[in-house]
Amino acid sequence: MGIAMISPAVNDTETDGEAAARPKALPVLQLVDVRKVFGDFAAVDGINVDIREGEFVTIVGPSGSGKTTLLRMLAGMEAPTSGYITLRGTLINDVPADKRPTCLVFQSLALFPHKTVGENIEFPLKVREVPAAERKRRALEFMRMVRLPDHYYAKNVMRCSGGEKQRVALARAFAYDPDVLFFDEPLSALDYKLKKVLEKELKDLHRESGKTFVYITHSLEEAMVMSDRVGVMSRGRLVQIGTPEEIYTKPATRFVAEFFGEVNSFPVRRTADGGWTQADGGPIVVAPAGDDIGEAATVIVRPETMRFVTGPSSADNLISGRIYNEYSLGSRMLYQVHAGERIYLVEVARAAAGGLVAGDTVTIGWDARDAILVGD
Amino acid sequence: METRSQIHARTFVKVWTGFVVFALYLPILCGALAGLSKGRYFGFPIKVFSTEWWGKTIASLEIQTLVQNSLLIAFIVTLVSVFFAFFGALAFARYDWKGRRLFQKAILLPVFFPQPVLGLALLLWFNAIGINPSWQTAVIAHLVWIVPVVTLVIAIQVYSFDPTLEEAARDLGASRWFILKEITLPILWPGIWSGALFAFLLSWGNFPLSLYTAGVDSTIPKWLYSKMVAGYSPMVPALGTMSTLSAATLLLAGGLVIMILRRRQRDL
Repeated sequence: MGIAMISPAVNDTETDGEAAARPKALPVLQLVDVRKVFGDFAAVDGINVDIREGEFVTIVGPSGSGKTTLLRMLAGMEAPTSGYITLRGTLINDVPADKRPTCLVFQSLALFPHKTVGENIEFPLKVREVPAAERKRRALEFMRMVRLPDHYYAKNVMRCSGGEKQRVALARAFAYDPDVLFFDEPLSALDYKLKKVLEKELKDLHRESGKTFVYITHSLEEAMVMSDRVGVMSRGRLVQIGTPEEIYTKPATRFVAEFFGEVNSFPVRRTADGGWTQADGGPIVVAPAGDDIGEAATVIVRPETMRFVTGPSSADNLISGRIYNEYSLGSRMLYQVHAGERIYLVEVARAAAGGLVAGDTVTIGWDARDAILVGD
Repeated sequence: METRSQIHARTFVKVWTGFVVFALYLPILCGALAGLSKGRYFGFPIKVFSTEWWGKTIASLEIQTLVQNSLLIAFIVTLVSVFFAFFGALAFARYDWKGRRLFQKAILLPVFFPQPVLGLALLLWFNAIGINPSWQTAVIAHLVWIVPVVTLVIAIQVYSFDPTLEEAARDLGASRWFILKEITLPILWPGIWSGALFAFLLSWGNFPLSLYTAGVDSTIPKWLYSKMVAGYSPMVPALGTMSTLSAATLLLAGGLVIMILRRRQRDL
């Protein structure tokens, strides 16, 4: 294919079936200082990441954060302005989409409207001139894999429901037999219930196939459910990448913390004895700071780690206030509490709330380990 | 329940539609009837009906040549104009390139240019470069006017084409040629088909361009005109009717093909 080898040590030439058996630690995709500039706007501004064999990595970010541009570069539909993208050690910066062993499931799915379900799935096989009978046999296998009934083979693809179209698009991508599958938020147009079902199926499919998945979405919830690792993008940069657990418990910045929804945040300063004080003077006990934290920082406390306390408490931080409003979240309740100048959000189980309503005076408590210091 | 005003509105729509259809088709009907007159001269009401002039028209060697000329020109114009218009339409509506806006405007120009003037201009131009006008030059003249029209017809279809389909096909390993054959052409097929019908009918019925640029060769509209100016016989309305009927048949057949294709797709 005329591709330059830049790191022969990582390169190997095995066949498709062995992918699942390979050690998980080898990076299948490596991005080094990848940038993409349109005019004088850097859509992607220096991304460094290794994606390991068989991983399910999700990149989340608000619209305009550069995640789609990043994905299009990985899929070969855009060439990076600078930096390197390597696939199994082979530089693929300028390898076009049709020459890459990767496949993108588009947001619009891009199903061929004039073809049947079967013809759509067979398309990559037809490109490779697989005989018709063999194509059909394999298309039916892929249909079973994504749980589409056999009689859909001859069905007009435009007459399928939203969920069925997703499955067709997935089966078609698998029929290409790519090393890496990319997903450009294909579930975003579906209703909540169906989305939940397909998220689970996608994760199962990832496990069963052993392929590497790179998924982008603006929904952190979607990312958390499915992925081995989550990367958070903002303004063309990867702010943080880690397991869902790490992203949730140790957000690197306020931006990452707030991506989950509303949080309580306090600007804080370091005191002479190495502790922390709120910018407006109140004392606060926080989790140990990382090395990257300077003299001023922000403390993040998630609403669900705060609780209401009555009587003596072991909570490291205590604040009294008055409930301003309450919101029902189903099994949980969210309270807006005014204390002095500040507004606190407290989320507790419905049973633990004990029927608190607006106007009640309460004491909020939270522990030091839940007060996370982040840089700004 | 319908209100009074809804009933009024519906009655009005019916009456108006009837009037428009009547006003449009009455002259054509009169022309058709004139071809069925036994009398040599054009006159109304028709006293004796006969199929004599239809028979004469069909038997006439001169008219067979005319039909051959018109058919040949229309066929070549259809093939060539669809070829150019297909790629023109992609440039018009699919791709973003420098100069696209200028192209979009420039291509409209021949359509707005009065055809007799366009015909005369082309004739002068053919003379200037020393080409004798014949049916071949008429083909060129027709193309100047018809390619832009067909480009616009196909461009309408191209506007509704989702370019990510081509991107997806490419991503699945397909080459440019394979994508054109398997994705682009089949999806744009209805637009190409209607473009081809347009091309054929516009060429088949074109008079002003043929008048100036066909030289000694004659086409059906050209012959009809010359016979109306001098040497009228009921062969004129008879041939006119036949020409109209064949064009209408072609249109209906085209519509039928598209309908069958759509239905087949829907029933899958």
